[in-house]
Amino acid sequence: MTQSKVGIRIEDLHLSFGDTKVLEGIQLVIEPGEFFAFLGPSGSGKSTLLRAIAGFGPTPRGRILIGDRDVATLPPWKRNVGMVFQSYALWPHMSVRRNVAFGLEERRMPASKIAPKVEAALETVGLLHLADRMPGQLSGGQQQRVALARTIAIEPQVLLLDEPLSNLDAALRVQMRRELLSLQRKLGLTTIFVTHDQEEANTTSDRMAVLDKGVIQQIGTPQQLYDYPANTFVAGFLGTANVLDGTHDGTHFITRGGQRLAVANPSANAKRIVLRPQNIRVSGSGEGVPGKISHREFLGSQIRYLIDTPDGQLIVDTLHATGHPPFDAGAEVKLTIDSQSAALLED
Amino acid sequence: MHKILKLSATALMMTSAAAFADTVTVVTSFSKDLTDPFKAAFEAANPDTTLEVVNRNTNAAVSYLQETRGSNTTDIMWASAPDAFEVLKEQGLLAKVDVQYEGIPDMIGGYPVHDADGTYFGFAASGYGIMYNTRYVEANELPIAEEWEDLKRAEYNGHVAMSSPSRSGTTHLTVETVLQGEGWDDGWATWKWISGNMNTVTERSFGVPDAVNSGATGFGIVIDFFGLSSKASGFPVELVYPSVTAIVPANIGIIENAPNQDGAKRFVEFVLSPEGQKVLLEPAIMRLPVNPDAYADAPEGFPNPFSEDFAPGAIEFDVEKSGMRYELVNSLFDVLVTYRLDDLRAAVSAVQRAEAAQAESGNEEAAALIAEARALIEAMPISEEQALDPSYTQAFTVSRADPATEVVGRQAEIEQEWDRFAVENYAKARQLAEQAIALN
Amino acid sequence: MPAITDSPRRRLTLFPNLSGAAVAGIAIAIFLMAFLILPVAQVLYVAFLDARTGAFTFQNFQDFFNTTLFRESFVNSFYVSAMSVVVATMIALPLAYITTRFNFAGTAAIQALGIIPLIMPPFVGAVAMSLLFGRNGSVNLLLNQYFGFRIPFMEGLNGVILVQSIHYFPFILINLSASLRNIDRSMEEAAQNLGSHGMRMFRRIVFPLAMPGYLAGAALVFIKVFDDLGTPLLLNVNNMLAPQAYLRITGVGINDPMGYVISFILVVFSVFSLWASFLFMRGKDYATVQKGGGGLSRRDLNTREKWLAWATILLILALVLSPHIGLLLLAFGTIWSFSPLPDGFTVQHFGTIFTQSTQYVWNTIIYAGTAALIDVVLGCAIAYIVIRTGLTGRKWLDYMATAALAVPGVVLGIGYLRMFHGIQLPFGLGQMSSFWGIIIIALAVRRLPYALRACMAALQQVSLSLEEAAESLGASRTSTIRRIVVPLMTGGILAGFVTSFATAAVELSATIMLVGRSSDAPLAYGIYLYMQSPAGRGPGAALGILAVVIVALGTYLSQRIIERERSRQSTISDQH
Repeated sequence: MTQSKVGIRIEDLHLSFGDTKVLEGIQLVIEPGEFFAFLGPSGSGKSTLLRAIAGFGPTPRGRILIGDRDVATLPPWKRNVGMVFQSYALWPHMSVRRNVAFGLEERRMPASKIAPKVEAALETVGLLHLADRMPGQLSGGQQQRVALARTIAIEPQVLLLDEPLSNLDAALRVQMRRELLSLQRKLGLTTIFVTHDQEEANTTSDRMAVLDKGVIQQIGTPQQLYDYPANTFVAGFLGTANVLDGTHDGTHFITRGGQRLAVANPSANAKRIVLRPQNIRVSGSGEGVPGKISHREFLGSQIRYLIDTPDGQLIVDTLHATGHPPFDAGAEVKLTIDSQSAALLED
Repeated sequence: MHKILKLSATALMMTSAAAFADTVTVVTSFSKDLTDPFKAAFEAANPDTTLEVVNRNTNAAVSYLQETRGSNTTDIMWASAPDAFEVLKEQGLLAKVDVQYEGIPDMIGGYPVHDADGTYFGFAASGYGIMYNTRYVEANELPIAEEWEDLKRAEYNGHVAMSSPSRSGTTHLTVETVLQGEGWDDGWATWKWISGNMNTVTERSFGVPDAVNSGATGFGIVIDFFGLSSKASGFPVELVYPSVTAIVPANIGIIENAPNQDGAKRFVEFVLSPEGQKVLLEPAIMRLPVNPDAYADAPEGFPNPFSEDFAPGAIEFDVEKSGMRYELVNSLFDVLVTYRLDDLRAAVSAVQRAEAAQAESGNEEAAALIAEARALIEAMPISEEQALDPSYTQAFTVSRADPATEVVGRQAEIEQEWDRFAVENYAKARQLAEQAIALN
Repeated sequence: MPAITDSPRRRLTLFPNLSGAAVAGIAIAIFLMAFLILPVAQVLYVAFLDARTGAFTFQNFQDFFNTTLFRESFVNSFYVSAMSVVVATMIALPLAYITTRFNFAGTAAIQALGIIPLIMPPFVGAVAMSLLFGRNGSVNLLLNQYFGFRIPFMEGLNGVILVQSIHYFPFILINLSASLRNIDRSMEEAAQNLGSHGMRMFRRIVFPLAMPGYLAGAALVFIKVFDDLGTPLLLNVNNMLAPQAYLRITGVGINDPMGYVISFILVVFSVFSLWASFLFMRGKDYATVQKGGGGLSRRDLNTREKWLAWATILLILALVLSPHIGLLLLAFGTIWSFSPLPDGFTVQHFGTIFTQSTQYVWNTIIYAGTAALIDVVLGCAIAYIVIRTGLTGRKWLDYMATAALAVPGVVLGIGYLRMFHGIQLPFGLGQMSSFWGIIIIALAVRRLPYALRACMAALQQVSLSLEEAAESLGASRTSTIRRIVVPLMTGGILAGFVTSFATAAVELSATIMLVGRSSDAPLAYGIYLYMQSPAGRGPGAALGILAVVIVALGTYLSQRIIERERSRQSTISDQH
């Protein structure tokens, strides 16, 4: 596994199914060795983009550079891009060992070289003892690992993971996610991970791209995207957000409900403000925006309130501390809003 | 839909049993071309009677009558081969009915027209002949074969077809005619040499005229009406009668326990009447009437078996002899010829090539080898005496034959023995002939 | 069940605790015993009797294996069947591959045309093929005229292999196409991703995954060819088992037990082949292992590939439709003898059949229609009992019904004659063996396996949870079946109906033994009759064309309904 790390550069990529435009003007640079996520709801084009990198689906317009090589018009089998499919796509008529050996055999590698590589790949995913099972005899997690071993065995330049965790149960998902990450770090493989689950993307990726309607909405680290979403979609998609309409007067953002919120980064064109639920505090009395609790949810470490205010209903999270009784529905409360670091949106 | 109507109609008719009596059910091997005109003419003459025709090939028809004898629904058996009627008669499946007819002689071409015991009746005569496709003959520049002997010649190699006697009652008669006309050993030799020239032995008697009509083969050994009706239908074919031929009647007989014996009798009488005889001359039928008077209306060139110049060498056919060894001859032909046609052909064509080469070189040693090869091809596993010996023949007949007769073995055993004999001899003959070719 | 309250009365009933499924199962078992197992056993037991004494013996089997001819026949039958599978595969594979794998304009038409050879009586096909490909058929006459050589397409076993593979390849085409369509797209993409493509990928990934479907089709072809006697007989090839059996069973007055021994061996060997193929396929039903959606990914063809694909397909279609082309020429030709084409053309033959032979058409529609109806009813019932109930011995219903595949038509025909000829039916219907209804039953029994497979497949696709949902909403078993299961199975049921109907409409081998009156005869029998006389070749061919048109029309209509049903259901399931 001495592959030199390569980056991926996508330039002005367009793709359509017949008359339906699926991807528009994709511009993207992925650094060598980076763990990169494509995040978006279903139908956002994230899988299509991944498949376009692997060479599946209709031929796109634009350039896809892996290292220095433009692969956009190459057939899949010439790209040396490893992909793990959502359904794992293990061939049921071949044993685990034969599945893993397949790609090497296709590269016309002598059998004597294949065997150790297969074992090494299976060793890496910890499944060497199941090498002679058939895929039908494995559990979902084991199948997942075989699919991974099969892909890394060919020592691809790039590893593509298409919703790799979606077919696993919750506990296994967390475990697999960590394993994936440590494997990626060990191999130093440039990796793209497609998911619709923001938590998965947040916990694994170095950087990510959020897609919607075939367009990249924003690129950045998970934290950047959370704290400074570029638009309403990103703000809403990454975590819970209260987005309030209003105007800007140079120092403050004035909401429709008449609240003047002090902001650190003034922007003349701001039309909305993003308030994260944990940045609002609730108290029974004192200064603040008046509100009335309409609903309460107990989340364990936090308590979430839905509070009716002059700006509509706001979501507010407060830390739960044992012994402190929460507010009941119907209670009149005051809200203190920490708006200094709040993101302003121009869309 | 009309099935349902018919169902309710039959239910209604239950009340009058008489309605049933008006249907005459005929089992026949004849094609629609023959049965339809007769049905039409008969129903026109008997407006209250319906003729139901069930078509089966002769062998299947016999099996059918045997299988269903317990509750017979058939009135009449109507087919060419007298042998099939002999089998039925022997098993008591034919009724003796006093059928009225006139103007029909007792004998035709040395063969009795009707069964002496009055269980079945000849209604049309058939001769055996060689049918050929004129376009084929022209394209291959072949002379016309007029005698059985001609078909043995090397130039006809691959141009002849015939059906297996075990599948076609009519072919069986042809085989038996030559065996009787030339004697057991010479007759079989003739068949083997002719068969060596065959490109196929068909499993249906109609397969032969079909092959000649379509030009798949040049010459076919057929019963005459196949040739005549094919020609009448417009195919470029001709038929010649070799001088050794048997004129045998095609027959009709009433089944024992016939549900409608009276109607059956009327139909048989109709077929034998002058009107019925005239139907035989229709172009699609073209069979020889057994009433000499009918020939007055025959078209130009239509063969008349009652005339002086017809087939001068026609033999007297020994029905009893033929009947005794019926199954044995069929089986022998199949084992020696039909199933081993490829081996036989290879041997015959090797001998033919050797003879051609020898004729040029005049090599004596080769001539001796050829003679030996010929003898091997012609050799028979059993003699004529054995072929008529019940201990042989009954190995091939129905189990209900006289159980006291000791037989020489089971049919499968005997056939295996013959098969081994044929395969070895043909291979040896071919080997000798090839040696002879190498000598020249 | 509160046994105490009503126990006295319950004890008196004949079948105390039988559910509806059990009653249906028993009724079907009785039907199959009466119309399949017993009649066949009636024929086969003769194989164990001494021809003379009637005593029980194994001597006949010893004779069979001692006889060179039979050993050769066995080898020939095996060779012809195996080669037919090979040739049929060569025909079916490109058609299936191109139509399932690429975006191809002619897909629907090709799939439809690909089924047509099945709906022609094989013996008719043999006649037409001889005229085109025989030693002096059109092709060889032209070859000989211009190039001075001939190709022995139709000589001996070659001819049988050619005719059989052209007739039976649709079995492989249908099953293989279905299998290919069911392969998850990612299976193929994973292979491409790992560097595989083209024929190599087809050989290593796609074909092995389609193997269950392919094998099912291939096994069917193998057995059908092994048992078929019409084609070899018509081509005058007799050194094969089925013709040997037929020749020996139907000979005049001959009492040769060998015919029955061969029949027995045919049945046993066919059952064995079926069993072997089931065994091989067990646990290989890959479709159920795979998750995710979408069939094989369809690729667009570039211009050169498109030409190549069209050329391949047209060549294959020309070959597989050649019997129909030959038949058309015969039907419209005047005299056709030793020439590449008929001397002239006429519509007179059609006039002849429309004035004389319309009853054949009606009979065929009634017989094949009723038989196919019986088949889907029995097929669905058996499928339901086997898949959804825990009835003891339910698998045996499946085995029994499927065993009909392994019974040559002649054997069944003779069995019926033996078993039913003495039975007098009420209402003046006459003898059971010559009653036309018996033809329907024979057809139904012979085609039941086709309908059964279709129903099984359809029921397997109906998720159990859909039934449970209905039952939890208070629907009874019966009304669940009627309102949920059957409507969801419509496509499969129709497919089963069509296959049964189309193949029953051209069946001859059993009916030829059972037709009691020519007014009761179906089309195939009518064609056979016509073809037995020189003047009848044209009308016979015209009748053949009529048969093909009727069946093709029926198939087309049902196909439309199936497609509509499929697209309606798939639009729902595709949303996720």
